[in-house]
Amino acid sequence: MLETTLDFKLLEMCSRCGACYSICPSCMNIPGYDPREVIRDILSGEHEKWLSSRHIWECLECHYCVEICYQHYGFENAMTALRMVAARKGMHPPQVKRGWDMFVKTGKLGEPALPARKKLGLPEPGASGADEFRRLHALLKERRAGAGEAK
Amino acid sequence: MREFAVFWGCTIQARFPFIEKSTRLVLESFGLPYRDIDGFTCCPEKSLVNNIDRGSFVLTAARNVALVDELGLDLVSPCTGCVSNLSTVKGELNADPREKAEVNGLLREVGREFKGVSRLQHLVPFFHDTVGIHKIKQKIKRDFDGMRIALHYGCHMIRPSHALKNDDPLNPVKFDNIIRGLGAESLQFMTKLMCCGQGLDRVDAHDKALDFARVKLKELKAIGADALVLCCPSCFLQFDNNQFLMIKEGERLGVPVIYFTELLGLALGFSAAELGMTSHRVDCSPFVSKWEALSKRPSPSAGIEAGLTGPSALG
Repeated sequence: MLETTLDFKLLEMCSRCGACYSICPSCMNIPGYDPREVIRDILSGEHEKWLSSRHIWECLECHYCVEICYQHYGFENAMTALRMVAARKGMHPPQVKRGWDMFVKTGKLGEPALPARKKLGLPEPGASGADEFRRLHALLKERRAGAGEAK
Repeated sequence: MREFAVFWGCTIQARFPFIEKSTRLVLESFGLPYRDIDGFTCCPEKSLVNNIDRGSFVLTAARNVALVDELGLDLVSPCTGCVSNLSTVKGELNADPREKAEVNGLLREVGREFKGVSRLQHLVPFFHDTVGIHKIKQKIKRDFDGMRIALHYGCHMIRPSHALKNDDPLNPVKFDNIIRGLGAESLQFMTKLMCCGQGLDRVDAHDKALDFARVKLKELKAIGADALVLCCPSCFLQFDNNQFLMIKEGERLGVPVIYFTELLGLALGFSAAELGMTSHRVDCSPFVSKWEALSKRPSPSAGIEAGLTGPSALG
């Protein structure tokens, strides 16, 4: 799975660079958070140990690393890949699970606060596209099942 | 100017309807051609949806863009995350015809088509590029001369730059330009571009989220900023709600957090109450009262005649 989503040639360069380490807000503020270590482990085939780590969820996706990366590739891609693998194994934090359930059910991450809107004199919120969204997702599932993709 | 739809996003409508209020007041004051349209869903939020199901992330965003494509509208949003996610997917699909065809194959079955032609803009770059600072200056009733404002861009207003293409991703200037156009001083400080850290609150790491907020707020306190101005509901949640929690725990912070549209609204002559600023958790009144006190300050030319009563060259 990892091999298909990450470019090891680029990561090989990453392991010798570390520009992202100098700008990443999580590196500056979270003790022990170090991209170089993660990338070294991925390259040596030991990515499994990071799947249960808090660190992969502490990447803020601020895209700083992508911007400063000489390859425009970035640490972020490695972290996203690890999170995707962890999520497939159901190892994502409970809050992420709750958020995902709400997203799938309602197509939103929160419904408009109607009483507060009334008090502020705001118009009715636009109709939600949740029905169409759910239909679309059912279609996506069908297509994946048809293509034999496990999901 | 092309008509545009406003994409409010989930967080503003669910948690901060007063931000919608001030945004509408400002858009109407400028007479901008905005519309509300039906059918939007979550943009979707990247860290949540993309990590679990990439296909769903792309499909949902493509559908939202298709809604404005269809009506020949552009899209403007007061939420940085929404614009960043929608633009990321739009850029990706426009660059990859095969993926675009696949997505459209699914969208067609619900009667939609992603064309990827609409312009997607965040409110701040929109005011900078499309409305223009000269227009803002013409329209405002009072500027913020004498106020010291700390800006927080919000990562996703400017990054990833390959999708957004609206400012320098490592040294942005547009928000600063607008603040200076409004007459305030835009403070330069160490943590100016530091990520707010709200993302940590979404992955069960509340304490670490507070750590992030604390770093910036302490610096702002030290340099004496009158307010922290930002334009992202997620950053607002971090600096307003989480700051409130820390103050309640006895930390001596107390930096007013003001949304970009509220600042603009004040300059246009709306009161803090009309703009919904009284709904903030952290009290904004120190900022507003300092600003009002400044307006009572005599103008530099006041009383100048009194000093000119002596003998003149004409006797």
